[in-house]
Amino acid sequence: MAVQKLYPRGTVKRIVKAHSNRSVSKNADILIFLDYMLFMQELMREASIRSRKSGEKNISANTVRKVTEVRFEVDLRASLEDS
Amino acid sequence: MSTSTPNARGRRSPFVTATPSGDTTLTGLQRLPSHTRYPLTPSRLVTAATPGTQRSASRYTPRARGVGAPATPYGLRARQQRAANTPGRDRRRSGRMQRETTFDILRNLGRALAPISQPIRSSPQEKPAPIEEPIDEFEQLDNEPEIERPRLSLPIQESEEEGEEASPEMPPPRMSLAFAEEDMDITYQSVEYPRDTSIRDRDRLSMMSRATGRISGDFDETRLESDDADETGIVGEDDEAEDTMISGGDFDRGGETEDLGRFHFDLNFPSPAAPPLEDPTGGDMNDMDDFELSTAEQPPAPSDDDDDDGVGGDFGFGLDFPPAASPSQSPGIVGGGLRDEAIPAQGKQKKISRHGIPVPNLPAGVVKKLATRFARSGAGSKAKINKATLAAIEQASSWYFEQASQDLAAYSKHAGRKTIDESDVITLLRRQRHINNSTTVFSLAQKHLPKELQQDMRLAMPP
Repeated sequence: MAVQKLYPRGTVKRIVKAHSNRSVSKNADILIFLDYMLFMQELMREASIRSRKSGEKNISANTVRKVTEVRFEVDLRASLEDS
Repeated sequence: MSTSTPNARGRRSPFVTATPSGDTTLTGLQRLPSHTRYPLTPSRLVTAATPGTQRSASRYTPRARGVGAPATPYGLRARQQRAANTPGRDRRRSGRMQRETTFDILRNLGRALAPISQPIRSSPQEKPAPIEEPIDEFEQLDNEPEIERPRLSLPIQESEEEGEEASPEMPPPRMSLAFAEEDMDITYQSVEYPRDTSIRDRDRLSMMSRATGRISGDFDETRLESDDADETGIVGEDDEAEDTMISGGDFDRGGETEDLGRFHFDLNFPSPAAPPLEDPTGGDMNDMDDFELSTAEQPPAPSDDDDDDGVGGDFGFGLDFPPAASPSQSPGIVGGGLRDEAIPAQGKQKKISRHGIPVPNLPAGVVKKLATRFARSGAGSKAKINKATLAAIEQASSWYFEQASQDLAAYSKHAGRKTIDESDVITLLRRQRHINNSTTVFSLAQKHLPKELQQDMRLAMPP
């Protein structure tokens, strides 16, 4: 395994900081990126399932977009549930 | 004598040791038969066989017992009576013994069984059987994570059905439709909608029609009132506009434009000044403009600036306009779905967050690496990700980060902090059902993160 950084920590921190207008504590970006990885896992899983179902061989951009839509719907619903 | 259960046994043992002495005294006195009889009916013995003198003697001569055996038969009798009376404790002990024996039996049983018995489990020990389907890769993909997040599968199915033929836009609001129907019913008498018209209702309608457009007149009044209020409250209301509006209400009372104007006036506040800006024949177009205004939130008609500022700014921006920076990147809520034109427009230039801070992009290499990793782990074979797909994934990632950051900010704000903490992310993970009773952050980190990051994470949050 190549000794390569998994992700640029500063960038993630800056992204979150820009969107939230709050500072991020020292190691919270690890967890944020962990969450992002889980999100990506789910996204790719759903995309591959959907692409298989529609008979495509590779994951197309359209599939990803559709999955993204659903994902946001679900997220919205979840936040509505929790609130 | 209500003894608490824990020391019940401890309390009993002194009685047991105390009774033999009493018995020996009684056997020494040779009066056992009455003694054996008293536990059944002690009160009868007391009341029947003892005059008050004997009782008082037995009560007031405690020294006699301490001195020695009583000489007189009265003394004997008194002693016996005392033995019958005092063992209130004996009597109570017997009663309590009866009460406690059942409890003791159960408790002793419990104690005897305690080291052996196992905690109760439900008898059918089967695991949730996997769904009997021909094992294809979909199934494998579905069962890949340990615990499926339950709410994912359902909305996908739903949105597949509706997403194929129709765009996932929100349906038009029902409120306006109901309004329109009502208007039709009132103004056009001839239009018959399927509803149960009782006679009373019909009478009422005819009365309305006889009253020469009472409803519209009513609404004219209300509009005048509101305009007056506006005039008093806000300075920038021009008089000629009001005049035109009144005249319009006069010469097409009950007409189409009148209805539309009224409907439009009732629904959204920021536009009471808008109809007077143009002549009443153009009321339709005016309405259309205003509906666009509420969504595009930029006044498209540069007609009258101070007027717009005066009225619309007073009502509308407080009420139904989202904060002005939101439509820049808010994901799919305002536009009602994915906005495809945003993807090519994003390009390389830096985005600006809603707080006005430039947002860097996650490097494409990182995203691609993650995407191929997870795509491959799902599909088994080498999954290729072309450029458009990568762009879509990056778009999704940026949306994800925006959403997650806002959630994290909300969590930290709720906790009264100024920085986003680890606990906020934990809360987010828990809300997303990534963390539950069986999955911890550490197990997730062990699964996904390299060792250095795990160490940093453990440093940040001691378990």
